[in-house]
Amino acid sequence: MKSKKCVAMLLAGGQGSRLGVLTSKIAKPAVPYGGKYRIIDFPLSNCANSGIDTVGILTQYKPLELNDYVASGKPWDLNRTDGGVHILPPYHGQGGGNWYKGTANAIYQNLEFLERYNPEYVLILSGDHIYKMDYSDMLAEHIDSGADCTIAVLDVSLEEATRFGIMNTNPDGTIYEFEEKPKQPKSTLASMGIYIFKWEKLRYYLTEDEKNPDSSNDFGKNIIPMMLHDNQLLRVYRFNDYWKDVGTVESLWEANLDLLNPKINLNLADKNWKIYSKNTGIPPQYISENAVVENSLITDGCEIFGKVDYSVLFKNVTVEEGASVEYSLIMPGAVIKRGASVKYAIVAENAVVAEGAKVGNEPNATGDENWGIAVVGDNLTVGKNAIIGANKMITENVKEGEVI
Amino acid sequence: MRTSAVAGLIFANSDDKLKELTANRSLASVPFGARYRVVDFALSNLVNTGVTSVGIITTENYRSLMDHVGNGIAWDLDRKNGGVYFIPPYYKRGVKRFADTISALVGAYDYIKKCGADYIVLYDSHIIANIDLSAALKAHKKREADVTVIYHNGKLPEKSAKKMILSLNDDERVNSITFSEGEYMASFGIGISIINKDLLLKLIRDAEDDGLTSFAREVIAEKTSELKIYGFEHSGYTAIMDNAATYYEASMDLLCKDIRAQLFDKTRPIFTKVRDGMPTRHGVNAKVSNCIIGDDCVIEGTVKNSILFRGVKIGKDAVVENCILMQETEIGNEAQVSNVIADKNVVVADGVIFKGTKEKLCFIDKKQIL
Repeated sequence: MKSKKCVAMLLAGGQGSRLGVLTSKIAKPAVPYGGKYRIIDFPLSNCANSGIDTVGILTQYKPLELNDYVASGKPWDLNRTDGGVHILPPYHGQGGGNWYKGTANAIYQNLEFLERYNPEYVLILSGDHIYKMDYSDMLAEHIDSGADCTIAVLDVSLEEATRFGIMNTNPDGTIYEFEEKPKQPKSTLASMGIYIFKWEKLRYYLTEDEKNPDSSNDFGKNIIPMMLHDNQLLRVYRFNDYWKDVGTVESLWEANLDLLNPKINLNLADKNWKIYSKNTGIPPQYISENAVVENSLITDGCEIFGKVDYSVLFKNVTVEEGASVEYSLIMPGAVIKRGASVKYAIVAENAVVAEGAKVGNEPNATGDENWGIAVVGDNLTVGKNAIIGANKMITENVKEGEVI
Repeated sequence: MRTSAVAGLIFANSDDKLKELTANRSLASVPFGARYRVVDFALSNLVNTGVTSVGIITTENYRSLMDHVGNGIAWDLDRKNGGVYFIPPYYKRGVKRFADTISALVGAYDYIKKCGADYIVLYDSHIIANIDLSAALKAHKKREADVTVIYHNGKLPEKSAKKMILSLNDDERVNSITFSEGEYMASFGIGISIINKDLLLKLIRDAEDDGLTSFAREVIAEKTSELKIYGFEHSGYTAIMDNAATYYEASMDLLCKDIRAQLFDKTRPIFTKVRDGMPTRHGVNAKVSNCIIGDDCVIEGTVKNSILFRGVKIGKDAVVENCILMQETEIGNEAQVSNVIADKNVVVADGVIFKGTKEKLCFIDKKQIL
């Protein structure tokens, strides 16, 4: 087999437990985003647009939806004869097998896959973020600098820096120290969880790390510090564009509504850097005579008879007459029935909000500090005239008239 | 490997008078319904019946059709066995270039012979309908028919070309076939028929020898006693688009919920080429009512009773009424357009007023700038 210059390994096994009911049945990378995408569309489209045609996708938590979605990789032009996408779940060999213990262990367990392509460089990605990035530019910088590992970083505020893995660098961009969530940050360069390694170095350090039974087999906690300790050349690659971790309900909600904010620099309409997704066999949207739709994203399969304001509606959503949706995300196939009202909420796939029900509330309506986005889990029904307050997470059907 | 007992044969350039939209393309690739091309309905109906081999007979200007259909991937027709097979005209001394249906079928002779199917569905591309062809096929086999003509019972389409009128027995056997136009109730063929392969090959050979030109008029219609010809009713929504008026009418029919439910039956989806645009953005002052809209549009103005294809942009304070605006058309700020069919990539500049009437629609050609 001819060898590849760069192979990407996409860590997509995370549960995303802070998303609660939204990831009770699907892995975080499969969570719907932006009306017609799933989070994993971003790293996959970035790969396709960056000319990286071989991607290993490491799955572990609830992989069914993800496997089904990625399938042959066709929507991202990753159904290649030579290369393409490969789903890599944990497996058993002759000597037994293990779940992926950490990010580094997941790659370690798939060294055979990498050996098959014998690349010069390995790009490590995660399936948790919304961003558009040209990996080929990062790769060019990595090659030019001769670094053993290049880590993409984002300049964050000093306050935010306490929540990230921070790279302390010399003026020439080389890293001398890595600090996980420092209380007193020395730098504001946060790791984006995107690494490019020289393949030989990656193989060596993954193998070394496995020898240490106390290691948590994690890139940030173990591999990077070990390489720094060995005086390897580690450099940062600065990224200045939109990047958002959608790890919580609030951040997922916000990242979606960012698409409606003209001040935010995330243009999904850019023809030179398309974000691909799987969508087929769905009719166009219909906006009825009496519908009122303002400042919203609406896509194929939607039928709107009511009011929609400042919201993102995913495919096949129905908003019946007299219903209203404001500041909300309505995920694929959900139905908002006559007279129902949804505010500051996420209604997950195929959920039904029945006639007259109310979901969520404005931030200032309660005035209390526990305000938050209300979430209705997938395939659930909120009964007629039921009321669900702000910040509630609904994990089972709600009866008619019930107040939660 | 045996693919499927049935193959489809689509006529991409059915006899049409939709000149305004077919100057640069075949009828089969005329844009329809905000995100489709006319041929999507034929391909999807065939594929939803389990057909895995489709021949497409083209005569002229079929570049956009080839671009749209490609290797058939959107319809799962990218196959080793079967799949999409384009049948463009070819030069042969003494043969007209697919000027009529017989010469087109002569051109498709080898495809029909080799496609491995026992039954061929002949399909004119100008029909907008979601048809369960498997039911028709079942009836065809059960009755041991030679030919089954799919018909619709109703008022003949107004302002439309001559239709194939069937006179039927109680058991749907066809007694006679005539061709007529006008406005009255009848059972008329909608341009789809099922025919046994070997019979079709024989009829093509005989017709060629006899120097015939029309398969429907000179072959099928003349053989109602000789062959077992049956009708099969498609009672659901059917639009036959053979001129501008019927095209506009069929497009506007999509604004009716019941018709949408029939055409876009979830159990028999209509597939089309994927374009990967972002969802449509309705701006802060957008006022949209009674519209069908594709993805990737940006709407800042007022739009009523219209069909917007993918990538259309409507400027601030613009007013659009009763229009069909095709892919990537841009309507400038404060412009006003009504009763207009704008082909792809049209630009209507800021403040321009351009209005047709319901009786006299205005067409704007591809890439025009007003």
